[in-house]
Amino acid sequence: MHVAEPTAPDHTATGPGRVIVALYAVMALAATGRSSVQIAEYFSRAPLAYVLSAVAALIYLVATVAIIRGGWRAVRIATVSCAIELAGVLFIGVLSYAVPRLFPDKTVWSHFGSGYGYVPLVLPILGLWWLRRFRTARAPAAGPG
Amino acid sequence: MLAPLSTAVIVVSVGVLLVAAVYALLDRLVNDGLLAALALLEVALIVQAFVGVARIGQLPAERATFAAYLFSLPFITPFTTLLAIKEKTRWAMVTIGVGAFAVAVMTVRLDQIWGARG
Repeated sequence: MHVAEPTAPDHTATGPGRVIVALYAVMALAATGRSSVQIAEYFSRAPLAYVLSAVAALIYLVATVAIIRGGWRAVRIATVSCAIELAGVLFIGVLSYAVPRLFPDKTVWSHFGSGYGYVPLVLPILGLWWLRRFRTARAPAAGPG
Repeated sequence: MLAPLSTAVIVVSVGVLLVAAVYALLDRLVNDGLLAALALLEVALIVQAFVGVARIGQLPAERATFAAYLFSLPFITPFTTLLAIKEKTRWAMVTIGVGAFAVAVMTVRLDQIWGARG
């Protein structure tokens, strides 16, 4: 019989990890779509915002792949991606309110990701929370437990 | 016409979302019925992509954004379904729900762009 509680997750992409992978994949898709349209169609309108959308897309993609792969190295890469994302969404969030003329058009991270239901703000926090247990449990030098 | 098709997509994706919520509460996993609904949704999304591209000339603006939504949408449910099939806890249903919700939201956006044409 299976147990519904996430007692001992053995892989980053199982249990709640699957939901996080799904969310990351959707964000990667959304950010890739948005940034490629913006850069191809009207780059000169807001170059900074559009480059940031592309950077966000890349980071979402890296996080998605790393969480799917698992393993201690992938966990490290995923953790760094989530940390960059959190820093990015906070910094760009503040900047977009403080200096709105830098952002004539929306990006994934501007206004703390309000255009995406604040998922860009919540997701890296969820990701970091989820990855924590693997970083402590799976570090090769730390041994079991 | 795009409207009846996108409305159908929204209805089916919200339906899948509700079924996933009920299944999560009942602690049930992905079964044939849910897979059939997801397959139906996928077919509708692919048809919508073809119809949308065929009629993109009617849009006065935002064609690239419209096309990006059309092409992105059919990738979501197969991916989240693949993730969910292998999951043997109720997190499977949350994964299905994330996919269905994303499809619903993106299709609403697609419909808004389509509705804004002159």
